[in-house]
Amino acid sequence: MLPRACQLTLLAGALAVRSAGAETRELTFERDVRPILKAHCTHCHGEEEKPKGGVDLRLRRFMDRKLESGGHVLVPGRPDESEMVLLIREGEMPKKGKKVSPEELAVIERWIAQGAKAMKPEPESLAPGMFITDGDREFWSFQPVARPAVPEAGKNPRVRTPIDAFVLAKLRGQQLDLSPDADRRTLIRRVTLDLTGLLPTPPEVEAFVADPAPDAYEKVVDRLLASSAYGERWARHWLDVAGYADSNGVTEVDSPRLHAWRYRDYVIRAFNADKPWNEFIIEQLAGDELAGATHDDAPQAIADPHKRDLLVATAFLRLGPDGTDDGAPDPKLARNQAITEEMRIVSSSLLGLTVACAQCHDHRYDPIPQSDYYRLRAIFDPAYNWEKWRPPAQRLYSLYTPEERAQADEIERQARAIEAEARAMTKTFLEEVFQKEIVKLPEEEREPYRAARATVAKERTPGQKALIRKYPAALADKSLDLYDKDAQKKVTAKTAEAAKLRATKPAEAMIMALTEVKGVVPESRVFNRGDHDQPKQRVEPGELTVLAPSEMAELKPEPLTSGSTGRRLAYARWLTSGKHPLVARVLVNRFWLHHFGRGIVSTAGDFGTLGEPPTHPELLDWLASEFMSGGWKLKPLHRLMVTSTAYRQSSRNEPSVTVDPENKLYARFMLQRLDAEALRDAMLAAAGTLNRTAFGVPVEIARDRSGRIVVGREELNTNRDVVKVISLGQDDFRRSVYVKVRRKQPLTVLDAFDAPMMQPNCEARNRTTVAPQSLLLMNDTFILDTARALATRLRQETAGDARGQIVRAWRILFSQEAREEDVSRSLVYLAEQTEAIRTYYLGTKPAKDAPPSDPQLESLASLCQVFLSSNRFLYVE
Amino acid sequence: MNPTRLCSRRHFLHANGFGLGSLALAWLLRRDGLLAAPMKPHVDGPLRFDLLPKPPHFAPKAKAMISLFMMGGPSQMDLFDPKPMLTKYDGQVFPGEIKYDNLAQASAKVFGSPWTFTPRGECGMELSELLPKLGEVADDITLIRSMHSGVNNHAQALYAINNGRILRGRPALGSWLTYGLGSETQELPAYMVLAHPAGLPTFDAEHYTNGWLPALYQGTLIRPTEPRILNLDPPAALAGQPQARQLELLKSFNESHLATHPGELDLQARIASYELAAKMQTAAKEALDISNEPGSIKKLYGIDDPKTRDYATRCLIARRLIERGVRFVQVLNSGQSWDHHGSLISALPKNCIAVDQPSAALLTDLKQRGLLDTTVVHWGGEMGRLPVLQNDVGRDKCGRDHNTYGFSQWVAGGGFKRGHVHGETDEWGQHAVKDVVHHYDWHATLLQCFGLDHTRLTYTRNGLNASLTDGQDARVVQEILA
Repeated sequence: MLPRACQLTLLAGALAVRSAGAETRELTFERDVRPILKAHCTHCHGEEEKPKGGVDLRLRRFMDRKLESGGHVLVPGRPDESEMVLLIREGEMPKKGKKVSPEELAVIERWIAQGAKAMKPEPESLAPGMFITDGDREFWSFQPVARPAVPEAGKNPRVRTPIDAFVLAKLRGQQLDLSPDADRRTLIRRVTLDLTGLLPTPPEVEAFVADPAPDAYEKVVDRLLASSAYGERWARHWLDVAGYADSNGVTEVDSPRLHAWRYRDYVIRAFNADKPWNEFIIEQLAGDELAGATHDDAPQAIADPHKRDLLVATAFLRLGPDGTDDGAPDPKLARNQAITEEMRIVSSSLLGLTVACAQCHDHRYDPIPQSDYYRLRAIFDPAYNWEKWRPPAQRLYSLYTPEERAQADEIERQARAIEAEARAMTKTFLEEVFQKEIVKLPEEEREPYRAARATVAKERTPGQKALIRKYPAALADKSLDLYDKDAQKKVTAKTAEAAKLRATKPAEAMIMALTEVKGVVPESRVFNRGDHDQPKQRVEPGELTVLAPSEMAELKPEPLTSGSTGRRLAYARWLTSGKHPLVARVLVNRFWLHHFGRGIVSTAGDFGTLGEPPTHPELLDWLASEFMSGGWKLKPLHRLMVTSTAYRQSSRNEPSVTVDPENKLYARFMLQRLDAEALRDAMLAAAGTLNRTAFGVPVEIARDRSGRIVVGREELNTNRDVVKVISLGQDDFRRSVYVKVRRKQPLTVLDAFDAPMMQPNCEARNRTTVAPQSLLLMNDTFILDTARALATRLRQETAGDARGQIVRAWRILFSQEAREEDVSRSLVYLAEQTEAIRTYYLGTKPAKDAPPSDPQLESLASLCQVFLSSNRFLYVE
Repeated sequence: MNPTRLCSRRHFLHANGFGLGSLALAWLLRRDGLLAAPMKPHVDGPLRFDLLPKPPHFAPKAKAMISLFMMGGPSQMDLFDPKPMLTKYDGQVFPGEIKYDNLAQASAKVFGSPWTFTPRGECGMELSELLPKLGEVADDITLIRSMHSGVNNHAQALYAINNGRILRGRPALGSWLTYGLGSETQELPAYMVLAHPAGLPTFDAEHYTNGWLPALYQGTLIRPTEPRILNLDPPAALAGQPQARQLELLKSFNESHLATHPGELDLQARIASYELAAKMQTAAKEALDISNEPGSIKKLYGIDDPKTRDYATRCLIARRLIERGVRFVQVLNSGQSWDHHGSLISALPKNCIAVDQPSAALLTDLKQRGLLDTTVVHWGGEMGRLPVLQNDVGRDKCGRDHNTYGFSQWVAGGGFKRGHVHGETDEWGQHAVKDVVHHYDWHATLLQCFGLDHTRLTYTRNGLNASLTDGQDARVVQEILA
């Protein structure tokens, strides 16, 4: 007998086939044909300012217009006389892009044969561009968030929260049911790793196991939510979406972003304080406007700690890759690319739509016309202002005191004088070079050449230009190093004096922020094909048309007294007004994803037509509504989710694994591999080396001699090759969230386990299971060092008792009591391995810098390594 | 559809569909492909990827590729593309416009090649005296003299030829091939990159980046000296039996853990990945160890000669990897060692000596093993050079500046013609003028050899299908295919 779920599948399939059946159902323009034309045709035929060949395919009505050739786009009832069909058949259309498939063509033909009908009356005319239909607006994620009734669950004791009622309602009638609750040891390990990214300590486990109180679990959850580790863990999820990095990316230089970490700290503090998400979003989008600050008065505003925080929050809008400080070859392009990346971050993090696709043309799948992209961008234009662009270095605000400022200014003045001197030297040297070069020319050409060189490039006669072209090397007006290395060295030495002097300035703390310049409001225009050199019609700031209710059709910002336009503040307030269809859904879906291992919408960054529909639409809406009505606070939502039966159930449920491998029905808790940071942090914590110092300047990273990126500082030789990596002491063991994030140099141990490359951000991490991860766990110095530290800890805590050490390790790493067979297997292993290592040392001298050999410790370390590499450790059950 | 699996969308329909408007129902059905709809790329949750062999779009000629990459820009008019006009006008002022990269050393003087060209092989392909051994296998290669990418910087030119567009951050060719086809071996990485002892080429990891493809498709960098793969070596005291004991214990723990989680594919995959890693420790070692190759083979490649030893070793390793089922191997130079702005007359021959015999030997060896038919071998860099002098301070010091408007590369095996010359540059060798092959045409053609349609080898990114040729006006160059 087939599983129940499968029967349903067959039933639904049969239904679907019948409803699509050729003869039984009448095809309509809106439902059947328009989507095909939209994907293949209307880009040229309707959405451009002038439709190609005068053919506009956006409305059925327009297809009755006669063609210039005299033919007909379509003749109802006669597909073979309809030009549309003939041109597609012959492969003449579409001219560009993907061909119409035979199945799609068959639909068009059948529709015409049936009379080419539309369902509803159509407007007489349409403005040029994309036409958003009622059908588009009816898409599920554009509907207002509803508050669905919680399904009736009777007195089912498994229903601990409304979440369970929704999950059970969906499971009802399936052959699947919720699994029994996970045991307490499993549960505390799961929830501790989930909420804090760290392992529960053995005493925490024992206390929970022994706690007879009915709310024992709830107390654990509250303790975890109150711990500082919670913010460090959950901030990381938001930092992924926000695209946080400590470098600028884009170019080879990948220049450091020295002050981004204050934003990271702001986020961690916001999570720990359970800052309501409406405030959190408003601050990140418009903290400067809240603080009443513009570019000109931001330096004063940051004297106030609260306003300073608000400004730090706006770094969210400066997190994308930005090459404009690093000599990108086309500066205008680089600026617009930087803005594009920011728009991508804003739209994917908050709207969950691939809005960026509409930068160059109307979105092919979602109802987002290109003009909407630029309306959305216009909200941010006064702050970015690409034509009066401020590169990253000019968007920093100093925390200097006036005295420090004066001192620094004086040093700067002196340094500039030195640089001026260096420039004068260059000029003199080049002149000397020229005197040598000129004599290489034939006598009669020297004087004319001198004259040509002395003339400003623009004013040179054709003859002079030709002469210079003939002897390009003699010009010697730049590139001194290529002519005279020694002279260049002197100049370089001079310039170095300035750098040395500058290094004596008092250390300057800065914040990175986004602001507008008072009174400067650039015009926003649509860029034809996304090209900033082809500006088209003007646009006013506004929300995407399909998301905006009539009263939000235009964003009407109240001008702020500070001189800022108020556009971002108005937009942020709309996003968090409770009426926005996407923001709360997108957010709660991500929270759910991190707890349960898959989103209710599994495409967390795409709630559009190419995304997956929600598995539990009513639950998603209920959670979104609950989140907003609870004041946008996350901690209560966490509590709701992790105290649900859906979360507390066991991960072991074979029918569920077999029938529903992706766990779309939640008949079990989904087994999840530790993510990169949790893996590293949990290992360090288990070894007892984790340094819980919070906040501040990121921990340095270095490339070691075998090419690995590790924590530490590089010692370089004169060739700039790494000689060795110098330990940072205790800082080697900080939590991963505090380790520097270089876009081009991810920490090897994190990179191997799918920590994202921020290009520009990460909507959902990949989960790979590949051999290099295994090689790393088998042989990498990080794991070897950590295993040795754990072995040392065990030996200190349970000296001379191998059995005790094994039992202890099992408790630390797995929160479990070791079974006798595990212990005895381990003991046999230890005995054999100690002997093998002892034998090894008999025949080998240890390396000079190696610690003295200790076969017993090394064998215990090798056992710890097995534990750390095992699935029991790497997965959360 | 696998009948034991739940198809949730249809289930969703059953459970909720009747409660939704007919429009929503139609929309959902359309999404299922049951009604006409634009093709929908596959997107569903955190994706999982693997390296198992995948069928191509159509019957392939090639199964593997070895790319002999020459970063810096080998000089085509001194190696592959004879230009009598340059010899004729040597030392005279070039009559046209030239775009220089290095102005301080720029000169408008025509620079005739100091080396002679002779017809080689039965096909009579004209090749420089600097590549005598290549001449011996001229009948096996297709020489393309009309390559074009059109950006004179090393970085952008590299991205064009190696990653498909002049933009940074896109997946390299080898990543696309392994993504599309998987691997024939599960004991070695599918995509391996052999580094030069003097270091990586400029823009190091960009040469073998997976870009935004999953990390699984990243090239595994093989170090130029032992140990050639990182973390292949257990700590000394655990090497051999002790580590085997470790892995055995690990496996027993993992198996007993799996027994309590029947059916969990992830746990199984993790156990398998340790097995691959363990195999790699030996398989990769074995594959990288050439000590048991016969003396005649070593001699053929030039391992006996210090001048060719390194490159010969790496070419031989490349063959051994391909033989063992690796999909894509790239052999790299260091820095941009073909970037001869100066001292061309002394430096270029040195470069050629290092690679000529090993490259030719690779073709001979693959051929005698019957592997050349299914293996593409490519030799070329990201650009070529100008017809005029650079650094006019004496003949021994001068070189040539960059040129991406016309340059040469050769390719052999895997479905390409043999003994064939394609395309021409102008009479000065500055611009490709006949049968121009843009970098994207080259990529489309190459994928064709592997049975892949460049428009269909796509990866869903931000809801759109991204590809190697990425909508550029690419053409499969049928004229160079056998």
